[in-house]
Amino acid sequence: MTVSMFILFGLVAGLLLLLGWALHIPGKLAKSGVPPDALDEVAGDHVNFLPQIRQALAKADFDFLRERAPEKVQQRVRGERRGVALAYLAAVRGDFHSLLRMARVIAVLSPEVAALQEFERLRLTAKFNWQYQLIRWKLLAGFATLPHLDGLSNLVSALSVRMEAAMKELGERAALAAELASSVNRRGLDVV
Amino acid sequence: MGGLVQSVQWAWGISAGISAVVLGLLFFQRYFRNLPMFTAFVAANVCQWGLLYVIYLQFGIGSRTSLVLAWISEACILLLRTLAAMEVLHRVLGPYPGIWGLGWRVLAVAFLVVLSYAAIEAGQNISAAIGLADRGFHLAFAVALVACLLMIRYYSIPVDPPYRALLGGFCVYSCTVVLANTIARALFLRGFANIKPIWQFTMVATYAGVQGAWAVGLWKAAPAMQVRPTLLRTSVYRQISPQINERLRLLNGQLSKFWGAKAARQ
Repeated sequence: MTVSMFILFGLVAGLLLLLGWALHIPGKLAKSGVPPDALDEVAGDHVNFLPQIRQALAKADFDFLRERAPEKVQQRVRGERRGVALAYLAAVRGDFHSLLRMARVIAVLSPEVAALQEFERLRLTAKFNWQYQLIRWKLLAGFATLPHLDGLSNLVSALSVRMEAAMKELGERAALAAELASSVNRRGLDVV
Repeated sequence: MGGLVQSVQWAWGISAGISAVVLGLLFFQRYFRNLPMFTAFVAANVCQWGLLYVIYLQFGIGSRTSLVLAWISEACILLLRTLAAMEVLHRVLGPYPGIWGLGWRVLAVAFLVVLSYAAIEAGQNISAAIGLADRGFHLAFAVALVACLLMIRYYSIPVDPPYRALLGGFCVYSCTVVLANTIARALFLRGFANIKPIWQFTMVATYAGVQGAWAVGLWKAAPAMQVRPTLLRTSVYRQISPQINERLRLLNGQLSKFWGAKAARQ
């Protein structure tokens, strides 16, 4: 009885917290559902800098320093490299979320949505965030060697190419909708 | 009124008054056109207050007849409440047919899963079946509503403040019913004799508060214009969505390798 009561109380407290969070919608979103910049952002911007990042993290450079530079300089370089790796990881995450935002906009504006696709995306997002945090904390703690970032680039950037057609259509339709709304407003009619 | 303590009577009167105000606002601010089912629910509530008043005067609050009639009226109100909440959700998600299609499925699954569990629990304890079923219903209702609201938040769908107040009120009231029923039952089983008036007061006062929030939310006139977004072709979603998922899956795979490679090196 007591245990089930505590479980129930916890459940209700969790529900109320989630309710508060769900109902507190940021002001920007409260007025217009689709963020105005959602269609402007193109996923894959940051991963375009991968060659420079790889250069900065090249093992040969570090070997060279190890032979010729004092320990203090090596430490400083190691710290800077870690900072670069962290910044890059954060940027890749930004690209990941940019893709997600785009996926959400497409889902919202679609007449039909496949539940499996949406739940799969939710699962992937949770997995990505979990892995991202693990790697990030490990890098921050200095347990990890500097990562090989090969292959991350194409994964995000290639999609932006494929999505151009969809984005073009989104842009055209958004412009059409805006034009329609403004012309209706001028006539003082309701759009339903 | 037969058997009700003074504070409960006061709360009862105030709550009935606020119900009438909410009903008035629904008509004066022209919400009844957009929310006919919700209007019917509030009207039924006002009628229920009156009906129960007459029943308790006639038969006394502790009589079996009063109990049966009260629960029958409550069952009708629960049905109307469910329909009213669905209607509000439809007002919010209606302009987005894809998300509405997903939303009502989430709502139905969440509701049925929790309700089935509650029905099993109530079935095992016949003496308290009605109370447990009532609690289970409210729990299922709150879970389903929160699941839908989380989905609305996830997709950044705008919710007009009046609808936000209505949905929040439904959920807060259901959560309070779950807590109050649980605590009251536990105390009753431990022989706490005076729990009934406290439970009644809690229920009535909470509902009065919820209705107060509804009245504040409905104070402004109903939005006259509902702009429907221009929808994409279905083929765009079918084409792009699997590609995005595939890309995200690969990206996750890369992160796994990234993690695995480092772990191996250590």
